[in-house]
Amino acid sequence: MSLAQRLRGSFAMRVAALFLGLLALVQIASFTAISASLGAQARSTLPDRLAAGERVLKTLLDQRAQTLTEAAKLMAADFGFRDAVLSEDRETIGSVLENHGERIGATEVAWLGTDFSLRAVAGAGMNPSQFGPAAAALAGTASSAGSASGLVLMQGRPHQIVLVPMKAPVLVGWVAMGFPIDEKLGTDLRALAALNLTLLVRDDASSAWRSAQSTLSADAARRLASEPWSAAPPPMAEVMAAGEALGVRARWLNTLGPGERDTGPAVLALVSLSIDEAARTPQRLQLALLAITLLAVAVFAVGSLYTATHVTTPLRRLARAAEQLGGGDYDTPMRGVERNDELGELAQSFENMRVSVAEKQAQILQLAYWDALTGLPNRAQFGDVVREAVAAAGTDGKPLAVLMLDLDRFKNINAKLGYAVGDRLLQAAAERLSRQVLRGGDLVARRSGDEFAVLLRDATPELATSVAQRIARAFEQPLSLDDHRLDLTVGVGIACWPLHADAADTLINRAEMAMYAAKKRHAGPQMYEPAMDDSSAQSLSLLSDLREAIVRGELRLHLQPKLALATGAVAGAEALVRWQHPVRGMIPPGQFIPFAEQTGFIRQLTLWVFEACAKAWRELHAEGADMVLSVNLSARDLFDTDLPAKLESLLLQHRVPAEAFCLEITESAIMDDPDRALGTLKRLAMMGFKLSIDDFGSGMSSYGYLKLLPVDELKIDMVFVRNMDRDAVDVKLVRSMIELAHNLGLSVVAEGVENAKIWDQLRELNCDQAQGYHMGKPMPLEEFVAWSARWVEKSRLPGAAGSAGLLH
Amino acid sequence: MRLEPTLAAFCLAASPALGAPVAVQVSDAAGRALPEAVVLLEPASGKAAVRPMPEVQIAQEKRQFIPRVTLITVGTPVNFPNFDTVRHHVYSFSKAKTFEIKLYAGVPSRPEVFDKPGIAVLGCNIHDRMAAWVVVADTPWHAMTGADGLARIADAPPGAYQLSVWHAGLAANSPPVTRKVQVGSAELRESFQVAVEAAP
Repeated sequence: MSLAQRLRGSFAMRVAALFLGLLALVQIASFTAISASLGAQARSTLPDRLAAGERVLKTLLDQRAQTLTEAAKLMAADFGFRDAVLSEDRETIGSVLENHGERIGATEVAWLGTDFSLRAVAGAGMNPSQFGPAAAALAGTASSAGSASGLVLMQGRPHQIVLVPMKAPVLVGWVAMGFPIDEKLGTDLRALAALNLTLLVRDDASSAWRSAQSTLSADAARRLASEPWSAAPPPMAEVMAAGEALGVRARWLNTLGPGERDTGPAVLALVSLSIDEAARTPQRLQLALLAITLLAVAVFAVGSLYTATHVTTPLRRLARAAEQLGGGDYDTPMRGVERNDELGELAQSFENMRVSVAEKQAQILQLAYWDALTGLPNRAQFGDVVREAVAAAGTDGKPLAVLMLDLDRFKNINAKLGYAVGDRLLQAAAERLSRQVLRGGDLVARRSGDEFAVLLRDATPELATSVAQRIARAFEQPLSLDDHRLDLTVGVGIACWPLHADAADTLINRAEMAMYAAKKRHAGPQMYEPAMDDSSAQSLSLLSDLREAIVRGELRLHLQPKLALATGAVAGAEALVRWQHPVRGMIPPGQFIPFAEQTGFIRQLTLWVFEACAKAWRELHAEGADMVLSVNLSARDLFDTDLPAKLESLLLQHRVPAEAFCLEITESAIMDDPDRALGTLKRLAMMGFKLSIDDFGSGMSSYGYLKLLPVDELKIDMVFVRNMDRDAVDVKLVRSMIELAHNLGLSVVAEGVENAKIWDQLRELNCDQAQGYHMGKPMPLEEFVAWSARWVEKSRLPGAAGSAGLLH
Repeated sequence: MRLEPTLAAFCLAASPALGAPVAVQVSDAAGRALPEAVVLLEPASGKAAVRPMPEVQIAQEKRQFIPRVTLITVGTPVNFPNFDTVRHHVYSFSKAKTFEIKLYAGVPSRPEVFDKPGIAVLGCNIHDRMAAWVVVADTPWHAMTGADGLARIADAPPGAYQLSVWHAGLAANSPPVTRKVQVGSAELRESFQVAVEAAP
């Protein structure tokens, strides 16, 4: 961009241009106003100037007459002249008149008697017939005033005639002299009043005016002569002459001799000036105004450019600084903050912004890469570090391992003891974890919630496993927080590079999968296995397919028998949903139920199961079986206040009594919002549904709720049941739970019965019903019907005393 | 002329011997007594013999001619002594006596002889305001009025005369006021009123 272009587009130039434009307007306006004002002023004074000029003309004529009179008087008093004139010699008189007249410039000289009769004449222009009467006309004035003068038209030219006495020493006669009015009158008037003089003459009223003399051009003079001048002219007449507007004032000059002014010979003096010239602004003033304008423009140009540059230079600097800020440079301090003006304030604001943004940036970086609660690196940093480590490992070939940890039951702790305790638990967990990872280069991070991650560099799978186990053991120690003594367990997943994944993100994902598997299996740290992958990786697309699964009829109802321990009779079944995916085959509930719960789709799933159960019940009922089918309700179902109505509508539709159903609710589902859950449960109980607490004993449930809940049944969590045959504590727990339930008037169901010994133990403990793979896994309805038939058949066999016989 | 028969009778009667005196009262336009008026009594027929008078002086003193009006007879020499310290240039363009005495001081070596009847107006070429009149009478009977405006001519024989009165205040070249009178035995009294203003 050239300098000119920069300037044209710049703020400074625009400011300068604006000011210069305004100045030019002002200057033009003032120049026009001054010119117009001066012109009008000058015009208004023209009549006065002409009147003054006319007075000057009169004075000039008077002075001239006076001068001529004095000269004539001196001549008349000359002794020799008198001597000659009084000599009575005609020729002598003539020559002396001529001679002395020439001395003072008279073109006509006459000697008159005391009676004003013409005695002798002389001179080149003398015409006695004109001169005589003119001189005689002066007699009266001359007699009384001693001398007289007047104007006469002779030979087409105006003349001044003076009449003076000749004394010797008494009056002996008169001397009359005529002087043509020459150009000097005009030049004098011009010199004195800056006006032009034109003398027009005419011999009588019938003849046209003609110019006798003029200081104007011949054309202009002729033009003036063509005007019809009246005897009483206006103060100023305007005449266009020779392309110029003239202001003219006319003065009739009295002439001597025969005839009146209006009819006889007349002399008209025209005093004139150029209106245009008079009205024109004087050139010096024009030049002065032009000079002032140019000076002002120059001063303004320099001044406004200086001012604008003064403003724009700091602005440009600020703009550059802002660009630097935008580019992420927060370290360069702003310049110009020391100024005391608005620009200084602006710069200070920028500086404040820079400091504040820098702080924010640091905070953001902190937040982005560090976990505020535990002070550990966060998910993002962990991801970055693992990626870097993988990249580095790619070159040095040293193996890596990622451990992923998740605290068990953390959500419950948070819910029961509050977030403050939960936070301190996380801090304690972080500390405990950090103590187990001591090698430099290894990294402990908090990924989210109760999930932690560890990067082990230069670690074989064996090393990773041993570290994982050490960590798991470390977490087995109870943790004291305030008055709470908390038992912590963790699920630990391990994934190794390059064994399990090539890329960092995959490595982390797989560690996570291993962790989920570990949590599920409750069997200590788990090393990643490809088998773990099928579920998780496809979860999302499965979930999207789930919506259509109901429509396409891909869901299957499976029933797991619930058996009465006392009689071995089939008391009922728990309804479980299976998904027969057209591509992936049978999908277990663990792979889609959690997602359905997250999205709320679980409510439709529940209704589907309920309806399928209703149909199944009708079929079983038709077969003669009279059993209770258990359906699981999720927390979301409990929050759905329309649930009772929906269920009722399905009961009516399929003509099934509510008593045919047992609705199973987990403790945690109730604990999410006990009040609402309680409301829903009460309504369901009123409708006649049996209610069961599922997974009893695994949650941190308050026994107080057992009193409030309208339940009929407790279902002991399988974690207590499945090891009963080996673990005496579990037996004690199960017994306590059974006794507790019975004391409250509730029936008891045990899940996870995996062998005959447990069956027997439960029967001894007076447990009411049992459920488990030992008796029957979940199966489709037809299978269930067949299984039931076989089971009943077996139970009728002789020797099968009680149900026990069936199972051994 | 109402008085004409009477005057004629007076003149005829006085012719052989000395006639009765003639008294002329001259007054100005306002009726006041007019001094320095010249009264000439000339015979209606013929001419009386006139003798020149002895030399007369017209002095120049304090830039004035003194006297202003001088009445002489034809042939009388007049001298112009200059009593001023400045010089004068006395002149006359009058037909009665044309002369000039160029710049001079003191008394001119010789007088000017006024040998023609008439009125000569004298001036000074240096001092325009100076003026004097010399009336050259061609008659022996003449007089000038005094302060009382009265002029007396005693010795004219009876007969017919032309009585003329002139004053310097009359317009230039204007002729004298004349009247025909008859000098007889009784005193002739005439009154003239001339168109001049007497000096107060």
